[in-house]
Amino acid sequence: MKISRRDFLKGTATSLFLAGFNFPVLASTSKKKNLIVIMLRGGMDGLCAVPVIGDQDFEKRRKGILIENPIKLDTDFALHPKLKGFKECWFDNTGAIVHATSIPYTARSHFEGQNLMESGGKVPYKDKTGWLGRAMKIANLKGDGLALSLPMPLLLRGVPKNDNFYPTDGKLPREETLELLRSVYADSSEEELLDMMNFIKKRKSEQMMGGGQSYDQRNNKNLAMKAGQILSDPNGPRVAVFEVNGFDTHAAQGGIDGTHTKCLVEMDTIIQNLKISRRAYANSIILTVTEFGRTIKKNGGNGTEHGYGTAVFLAGGLVKKSQVHADWPGLKRKELYQGRDLNATIDARSVYASAMSTVFDLDFNRIEKEVFFGDKLQNLSDKLFKSV
Amino acid sequence: MKNFFRKVAFGLKPDEKEPSDPLVWAQKQVETIPEFSWNGKHIYSEKEMRKYWIKKRIGEDRKLRKKFKDDPQGFRAAKQQLYKDVGMRYWPANEICIRHSEALRGTNPVLAKLWYFWTNHFTISDTQDLAHFSNGAYQRDFIRANMDKNFETMATEATIAWPMIMHLDNKDNVGPKSESGREEWRRREKRPATINENHARELMELHTISPKAGYSQEDVIELAKIMTGWRPKWSQTQDNGSNVRFDRKRHEPGKKYVLGKKYKSGKKGLLIAIKDLVNHPSCREFIATKLCRYLITDNPTPEMIAPVIKAWEQSDGFLPEVHKAAIKVAFEYNDKYRKFQNPENWWLTTINMSGSTYSYPTKEKIMDAYPLGFQPSGTIRNQGWFLEDLGCHPYKQKQPNGYSDFEKDWMSTELIIRRVMYAKTAFFKYNTTDQLDENLHEKIIRNNFDNPDKILKIVSRAKSPEEKHIILFNLPEVLKA
Repeated sequence: MKISRRDFLKGTATSLFLAGFNFPVLASTSKKKNLIVIMLRGGMDGLCAVPVIGDQDFEKRRKGILIENPIKLDTDFALHPKLKGFKECWFDNTGAIVHATSIPYTARSHFEGQNLMESGGKVPYKDKTGWLGRAMKIANLKGDGLALSLPMPLLLRGVPKNDNFYPTDGKLPREETLELLRSVYADSSEEELLDMMNFIKKRKSEQMMGGGQSYDQRNNKNLAMKAGQILSDPNGPRVAVFEVNGFDTHAAQGGIDGTHTKCLVEMDTIIQNLKISRRAYANSIILTVTEFGRTIKKNGGNGTEHGYGTAVFLAGGLVKKSQVHADWPGLKRKELYQGRDLNATIDARSVYASAMSTVFDLDFNRIEKEVFFGDKLQNLSDKLFKSV
Repeated sequence: MKNFFRKVAFGLKPDEKEPSDPLVWAQKQVETIPEFSWNGKHIYSEKEMRKYWIKKRIGEDRKLRKKFKDDPQGFRAAKQQLYKDVGMRYWPANEICIRHSEALRGTNPVLAKLWYFWTNHFTISDTQDLAHFSNGAYQRDFIRANMDKNFETMATEATIAWPMIMHLDNKDNVGPKSESGREEWRRREKRPATINENHARELMELHTISPKAGYSQEDVIELAKIMTGWRPKWSQTQDNGSNVRFDRKRHEPGKKYVLGKKYKSGKKGLLIAIKDLVNHPSCREFIATKLCRYLITDNPTPEMIAPVIKAWEQSDGFLPEVHKAAIKVAFEYNDKYRKFQNPENWWLTTINMSGSTYSYPTKEKIMDAYPLGFQPSGTIRNQGWFLEDLGCHPYKQKQPNGYSDFEKDWMSTELIIRRVMYAKTAFFKYNTTDQLDENLHEKIIRNNFDNPDKILKIVSRAKSPEEKHIILFNLPEVLKA
């Protein structure tokens, strides 16, 4: 074995899914636009990632967990100094932030919250499909998509035949053996197993890790570069989904070298490495989602509790300009949600819907109606994204 | 009918006699808890295992960091050696041997399958190095050891188990108005005493009543206050590795109200609160639903859940009775529902149906001969890592809600590729005689299926014994039970 357990864990901390192959297009006549979603699990602290230097209550309320020397973005907002990849995006005008935003969920359970951040609904566990899957379906992006990780996230469900990629050791058996299994699944009407076996049959040996290939294929740096390459293919998938775990820092959230920072850096690495495929990046929106933000005050263990409002990172060539888009609610006690959390003044689903409207060329109202159950959302497409 | 042996256990071995009354066979297995079938030397208590955790923690954080302050390379090397010295990669492998022996060699495979259910219900996820030292032992001492008791006992013991208190941060849950909260050093060091809600929330949401019970944020905070003070005693040499006990100095004084009920301040508060939570109607409904989901179908009907709830009510949550009721429901719905098995249960079914001459789990003499301080060899390391590759290492859940019991979450191309690959791996765990035995698959199939001729016909289309293995263990009849 070439890899230590520690590296292996690092590799599994991020997962990547790619989906939604285009109908074959001629690259010369129409540009292929991509959407990349990075799911930040555990509750990302928007105030740690994007400190509000312009709010006079900020420093006082964040005592003990303030990040030193943040990168100043404008008069009001700054950036966590370790987010070097995003900093570049900001300064080349392809990085933006939406602040004081959240999905409309306030009950502070991770598992309900993550379910809703993926389903896009309001009642936990009610919907069995994800907002991205539903939008891909109405955009006619179906089938033969490739995803890059072990399980299929709820976010992508709702469009048939998503594939995934997360290479394992060894070599696949002979074609005939796979064909035999395929025919058994077909005869016993096992549709899902059949779809997957169809994908497996097409799997090439270089997509396995047998015969001297390295486990590095699975670390997030390489998964992100691989995603960039695949998204560059004019007939390749148009959607990629990553997962970063570990944002739930009830204890020892830490400062510049703490756990929260480590997770943010992982997110940043993904953005940085996606950017290496310049053409794909130029025609993409990268967007982060999380279940909630964290309390404004630290607890006794130098951590933070589950909160409400947080921030969304946007990057890619389809981002209109560098900006922090916010309707700032303030940090005075009465301005906080239930006196403890940053409030959310923008429904994060408005950002998701606007991004999908831009990338999938779908009417915003149609997304509102068919993807987000008719909930009233704000069309931010013109404010946040380029119209191409 | 033979599917039932895969549904509640891991199928039958090729030479195993079919039980004449499957329901009685299954139900009898959950009445008592037998000794472990693993014959290795190293079965240590959770408390004994903690000394390795402490050694690693203090060694790395205190000693090595200081010693190699300006030498990152030296630090890395010393750290690697420390990991070997404390058996960081050895212990999980050893624990998996103990865990999987129960499914493969023990007299009570049904109990084993339910044990796996409960270890996932009371998950300790992969944080603070607990997976390397404590999770296996915790699952033995606090989960399995309580499977012949009331749910209240299991819930109480799991809640105040040292790894759980560490995992869900209750060690940092300190009453702001407590004696400790008012101490001068807190102001000096800027470490105010605050409530940490993490454990209280999961105790309600994941372990007992579920959000369906309709509790509020206020209830979570109040329960957290009841839980203040339950933590390990802090000391320089243990670094939180000492026993969990109730520390009155950190306990929030005053009355607390959870779901409308008043709780007095003090040690008994938590025990009474857990008693109330486990007796809440939402708790038995939640657990009955989860049990039926695990054994029968993603969406259990009210008719499936009702007998389990009834058994709970009649026995005061006595787990053997609850388990028997769930097994009976699984028996009654055996023909109607097939449940896609999670990767671990599928792997164990594959091994178990294949027969007993397998070199799985890694043999006792190999596990016992490993000396701490060395790099664990291939067979020892493989013992755990392939489970991670399959997507469900039993000590490395990513979040406190554990692995999903829904089929959908185990369906993806990559996950199916793993099944194909590991069915092949399984074949090569046979000894050579078995690998060459041409009648092997017929024996397996005749003993495990009601329609052996149909299955045989499919499998006979494969060319080699190895391919037969791949086909057989990826048939819908095996993937779903």
